[in-house]
Amino acid sequence: MVDLMLLAPEITLLVTGLTVLLLGLFLSAQSKKILGYIATLGCLVAFALTLNSFGTTAVMFSNSLSIDALSQFFKLVFLTVATLVSIASIKYTDGNDHADEYYVLVLFATIGMMMVASANDLMVLFVAFELASLATYGLAGFEKKNPASTEAAMKYFMIGSLSAALLLLGIGYVYGATGTTNIPEVAQNIGLLASSPMGILSLVLLIAGFGFKIALVPFHMWAPDTYQGAPSVVSALLAAGSKKMGFVAAFKVFITGLIALQADWQMAFAILAVITMTYGNIVALSQTSVKRMLAYSSLAQAGYISIAFVVMTPMALTGGILYALSHGFMKAGAFIATAAVVYMATSENKDILKADHLDSFKGLGKRMPITALCLTIFVMALAGIPPTAGFMSKFVLFSSTIESGLVWLAVIAILNSALSLYYYARVVRYMYAMPAEGERVSEPAPYVVALLLAVVGVLAIGFWPEPFVNMAMEAAKVLIPGGI
Amino acid sequence: MLPILSLIVLIPILFSAVTFLTKTKEQARISALVGTLITLVLTLYMYFSFDSTTAAMQFEEMANWIPSLGISYHLGVDGVSMPLILLNAIVIPLLIVYTWDDVRSAPNRFYGLILAMQGAVIGVFVSLDFFIFYIFWELTLVPLFFMVNIWGGSNKKHAAIKFFIYTHVASLVMLLGIFGLYFNAWSLTGSPNMDMAHLISQFQFFESGILRDAIFLALLFGFIVKLPVVPFHSWLPDAYSEAPTAGSVLFILLKIGGYGLFRVMLPMLPFTATPSLMITIMGALGAVSILYGAFLALAQKDLKRMIAYSSISHMGYVTLGCAGLVSLSVSGAMFQQFSHGLIMSILFMSCGVIQTSTGTRIINDLGGLAQKMPKLTVIMVLGFMASLGLPGLTGFIAEFLVLTFSFINVPIYVIIALLAIVITAAYHLWALQRAMFGTFNEKLGEIVDISSYQTLSMGIIALLVLYFGLNPSPVLDMMITNSEKIVSLMAVMGV
Repeated sequence: MVDLMLLAPEITLLVTGLTVLLLGLFLSAQSKKILGYIATLGCLVAFALTLNSFGTTAVMFSNSLSIDALSQFFKLVFLTVATLVSIASIKYTDGNDHADEYYVLVLFATIGMMMVASANDLMVLFVAFELASLATYGLAGFEKKNPASTEAAMKYFMIGSLSAALLLLGIGYVYGATGTTNIPEVAQNIGLLASSPMGILSLVLLIAGFGFKIALVPFHMWAPDTYQGAPSVVSALLAAGSKKMGFVAAFKVFITGLIALQADWQMAFAILAVITMTYGNIVALSQTSVKRMLAYSSLAQAGYISIAFVVMTPMALTGGILYALSHGFMKAGAFIATAAVVYMATSENKDILKADHLDSFKGLGKRMPITALCLTIFVMALAGIPPTAGFMSKFVLFSSTIESGLVWLAVIAILNSALSLYYYARVVRYMYAMPAEGERVSEPAPYVVALLLAVVGVLAIGFWPEPFVNMAMEAAKVLIPGGI
Repeated sequence: MLPILSLIVLIPILFSAVTFLTKTKEQARISALVGTLITLVLTLYMYFSFDSTTAAMQFEEMANWIPSLGISYHLGVDGVSMPLILLNAIVIPLLIVYTWDDVRSAPNRFYGLILAMQGAVIGVFVSLDFFIFYIFWELTLVPLFFMVNIWGGSNKKHAAIKFFIYTHVASLVMLLGIFGLYFNAWSLTGSPNMDMAHLISQFQFFESGILRDAIFLALLFGFIVKLPVVPFHSWLPDAYSEAPTAGSVLFILLKIGGYGLFRVMLPMLPFTATPSLMITIMGALGAVSILYGAFLALAQKDLKRMIAYSSISHMGYVTLGCAGLVSLSVSGAMFQQFSHGLIMSILFMSCGVIQTSTGTRIINDLGGLAQKMPKLTVIMVLGFMASLGLPGLTGFIAEFLVLTFSFINVPIYVIIALLAIVITAAYHLWALQRAMFGTFNEKLGEIVDISSYQTLSMGIIALLVLYFGLNPSPVLDMMITNSEKIVSLMAVMGV
């Protein structure tokens, strides 16, 4: 008998999504505001249920789903991001007749991500991956009248489909060689894959497929345009949520399934990590659009997390997993703060295409003090200034490279981290050292609530990391059963 | 017992938050003053119950923080940190009094940042766990960055970013060194521990000599960039001279670089693979800084830049004293940190007054200010005399101890440094003569002397310079107790 209680978080989201969809039929555009609260409530309940069952281990549906500390940790990450995004969207979708569709897509994308986290079978993983992807394609193009948003969705969709095809082909090769799509069984029959020419080919295809979602250079081309063009709250979901889905999938497939081919993929990840963090940081330096800057910084951050694949010690994996959570708070927070600024700029009749330009951030410390303060905390956290989540995660992750003797990698990562400070500090400088062009505006409550929640998360991990580190260690133990 | 160390860190930070929330200038400065005065009272209480005959840690506090990584909340003070905490606790309230009448934009943020800075700097001095040490160390960057960026001079953006990135990179290199210490000690003992004393005691057991030297140099780099010494000084003139007066004084009080030398570097020195090389590096850097900084100061046209460069020269004595490796030279270096904080505060404050009342800092554009500003002149001349090392003032005690006792071990560097004394006297007197004395430059227009608030705060600091110059033992004794302990460790190792 399958214990459906373990799927209660996903079921909660599903029921919430369907309720939102159904209510959407009857509500007027003005009263659709309530849907945002329902979606938020659904996410919070699912979060509580997941947290409550943390530590339970089970496999279900013919070993195709596995509930363990790793999947639950990432579910918490996705639900955190989904909650923040839902709260922030309440203002964004206010008065929009399509609000019901918007929230359904957010909820379904989250279900997809959560299923990826629990998938124990390559086919389940692929289907869940596509569920999340399709929903986010729709979200990226949600502003149908905004050409940037349409372009964002189009690019995201085209490259996304291509990468899905590559991923599927890779899975096909793995199946062809090993005769199974079950990840633990793949690991058992890995000899068959390793000895055949399909081995390297499938690795290349899988890295390309996951690399797209993680936005590793050179599979990143879509990311800056999509993050910039998509509505800012959706960018938060993409950068903070769906990128982590790529990571958990890659953790599962490479570390659990293809560990025997470690020597091959580890080198690939080492090169990709270094290129990605360096490229992301260097290009971010010259951006004048804050969303685009955050997109490139997001590349850099993905480069840091990829260090976990290179170092592969329990501590490195703990660091990578902790980083995923921290990045969820920091990046979602930064994009939501940007969303609040874009909202302010467009409500002052500023061109939507230029609303996220650095000029909109001039004197924000005076105009929107709470947003400005929160954004300052997020960018300082992204830069790794203590005592924030960003510092704590970088501390664990980078120190693991020293622990395993890869000093060169630590040096590159640390130099990159120092480089990133320049463009993060620039945003802060615009907010506090530049004169304001306008009066103080009232900050919409939903944005403020979402921002403050994210700040609490960022500071909690910074000040009181013990429980988070322990949870991340539990999750890492699933990948390397040897323990820490 | 009262967790006094936690209090002197938390009270400024708490009051910083309160100050940020205040609405008017009146509220902001009162909140700031109250916060710093409470800190001062607590610090004075601590100072008077401090036992300067022992080198052991006092007022220790210890609690688990992140046990899985061996990180704990461990605070304590000894004779190395106590004088520096005292310096901060005394000068910062006076700094607030000094800026009392200064009209500034956003006073709540201005005073809030000063208090945040105080909390962070004291935090560095009381941390005995490398992790929290590093956290406070990095936190000191943030208020100064804003200080320069918002209230700085015409070139403030450049200066702020340069300062931030330069010293952040140095901190990260230092962090690499800390990681090295941490993991090697972890593999030796089998359990993670970030405690400073523990890591330093384990350092000697690392097998690889190259590794020991690399870790030592990484940490040294982090500290000497902050200090700073030539050739890692280039962030300093920009940051010091672009900062508003209060910011410059905060920079001066940021004595964490030199502190790191005493707390971390000297105890580790005997266990490096090539101690004599390390001493040479430190001695040479110190001597070059003293001389080169003095030459650069001589060439400056801007009064504030001149003071900034003189600061590089003075900080060279800290490194040189460390390289001197006898208890009294090390004490001299410690005393130089304390004395420099007081003297430079007067100099930067004087410079701020001159700029506000005349609108310029270019030495040649000034002239004869003594006639119009007698009160300022008295204090400023005292500050300049202390800075050039006139006996009876604090600067003399520090330089005398460093030069005399470093001669035992590193005579060549002392001889180089001695050359600088002439130059130091020259640029100080020359600047003073051109700016303050002679005929009054009528182009400057109406000049008013310093306000009563500024007289009060600068006067108190000037009296302290005189008091500790005549009677250094209240702080020097505790420094000597600790440097004897540090140096005796080296004697055992035969360094």
